[in-house]
Amino acid sequence: SQFRSQNIFPTDLIDDLAPDTTYCLKVQATLSLDLKEGLFSPIRCVKTTHKAVNDLLCATNVSVIALNMKFHLHWNNQYKQHVSYNVQYLIGYLKKLYDDYSMKWVNVPTCENITDTQCNFSSIITTISGIYFLRVQAMSEYNKSCVSNEVEVDPLITNEIGPPGVKVDISDVLLHIQISPPGGSECEVMRDHYDLSYRILYWKNSSNNEEEIKMKEIKQTIGTISDLTPLTLYCVKVQAFSEFYNKSGHYSKEECIRTPGDKILPLIILATFVTALIAVCLVATPLGFALYQAYNKIKYVFFPSCQPPLNIEGFGGQLLSSPYLSTTEEPIENCSVIETIITEEVDQTDFKDYIHSKQSSRDSGNYSNDDTSGSKVSEEMLEKEII
Amino acid sequence: IMNVFRLMQIGLMLLCTTTISSLQCNHLPLQQRKMIENSLQLLDKMGKKFPQQCLREKMSFRFPEQVLKPRQKETVKVAIEEIFQHIFHIFSKNLTLAAWDGTAIEQFQNGLYQQIEQLEACVTKKQTHYFQSKEVNRLKVKKYFKKIDCFLKDKQHNLCSWEISRAEMRRCLQLIDKVIRKL
Repeated sequence: SQFRSQNIFPTDLIDDLAPDTTYCLKVQATLSLDLKEGLFSPIRCVKTTHKAVNDLLCATNVSVIALNMKFHLHWNNQYKQHVSYNVQYLIGYLKKLYDDYSMKWVNVPTCENITDTQCNFSSIITTISGIYFLRVQAMSEYNKSCVSNEVEVDPLITNEIGPPGVKVDISDVLLHIQISPPGGSECEVMRDHYDLSYRILYWKNSSNNEEEIKMKEIKQTIGTISDLTPLTLYCVKVQAFSEFYNKSGHYSKEECIRTPGDKILPLIILATFVTALIAVCLVATPLGFALYQAYNKIKYVFFPSCQPPLNIEGFGGQLLSSPYLSTTEEPIENCSVIETIITEEVDQTDFKDYIHSKQSSRDSGNYSNDDTSGSKVSEEMLEKEII
Repeated sequence: IMNVFRLMQIGLMLLCTTTISSLQCNHLPLQQRKMIENSLQLLDKMGKKFPQQCLREKMSFRFPEQVLKPRQKETVKVAIEEIFQHIFHIFSKNLTLAAWDGTAIEQFQNGLYQQIEQLEACVTKKQTHYFQSKEVNRLKVKKYFKKIDCFLKDKQHNLCSWEISRAEMRRCLQLIDKVIRKL
């Protein structure tokens, strides 16, 4: 004899028993919060009967088929005469809340009094977190009814992930794959909770089918495949999967595309290279030249290479000046002064005064206020400046 | 002979619990995270913003945060399951005066029930010696929820008492959310 253990609610149904067999059972209560287990009840034995004729009325093989969060209930029936069905559902937590939840079953709105052996109950799955129970009540013309077994539906676990959409594009040796998530725009909830990733399978489609299938897993909806050989037909198919729920979806359709040849490629590369080279030369040469010129000018301005000879007195103060920086107007004025010297000796006193004033107007304190030496110096300087 | 049968029964039960706990339990924290996010959304959806007039009656219940801090994952999972059970129990009756969205309450309860079932399947409880040492923590959780229960009873389950309790449960779930992210 086999032992089975099952957690049950105070009102519950064990429905997978064989006919014409004696079953014995005993029950133990547990307080899960306090981790306490009670004593077992006395053993009760009961013998199952043979299958009732009425059973033919009941719906059998009740199963759920769900794709992309669209839930359908399917069942079989072997009853020869006219049967109508009511599909009923129970929100899971009510089993926990009430000892006797038999009054809590509700008809699924779109599946009342139907003759079809299937029902779309997506409308009652209002939230993905939460368990639902479903059953089928079959009613015959003679007001006889029979309720089928229950099926448990945990939306995200029961649901199947459909195929994603795939678009392929090729550019040289890169294959771009654009994936549209399964279920389209209405299935945001599904994608959100499954945290979908995608598995791309690709292979060379040649006449001999011995090419190995390669795989790449990505998280986003855009994937790129490199390492392709040119002039080959590649085929791609994609599958969505959820790591959280250990679920793989259906495969998309195969999309095939041919990689372009590389005859043109080296030429293109060469042409691009040469053009780039020319462009660089065209830009770099004048730029370099301009920079060189600027460097020269700066060097000339700040570090002039011609120094006046050191034996010329009075040039000490001017060693650091250059023609570009000096703002004195002496050369011009000296021309006019020279004219005065040559033509008018009478005006020598004026001239001396003028030189004095000139001396005092100069910034440098190197010159003494002595008339005689000062005038000699200035005369020599004037001569030099003429030259 | 009866002893032999009894031993066989215990053995089979242990076998069942160990096999069940290894299924689907690797991704438990990830699945629970999404469910908690859903529960928090439903908790918000149930009612409107916290009413101003209830601020006066606000009470501090002092959730025992240390029960969610032990280093062993199994102990934390058990603590979380217990907290869910308590929350489920609180929201199961006397909700008429709260005047909340019935569908949202249903979905919230259903979500909690699903999480409890999942945790029960994945957490092995047969290591009794393991959990007896955490008796203090479990009593703290019980005391906390008893306080909330008494508060609701004292106020005859009026609107303000429910709103305050709802805000407290929100805080509780957010703490659990933080802990689950670290599992």
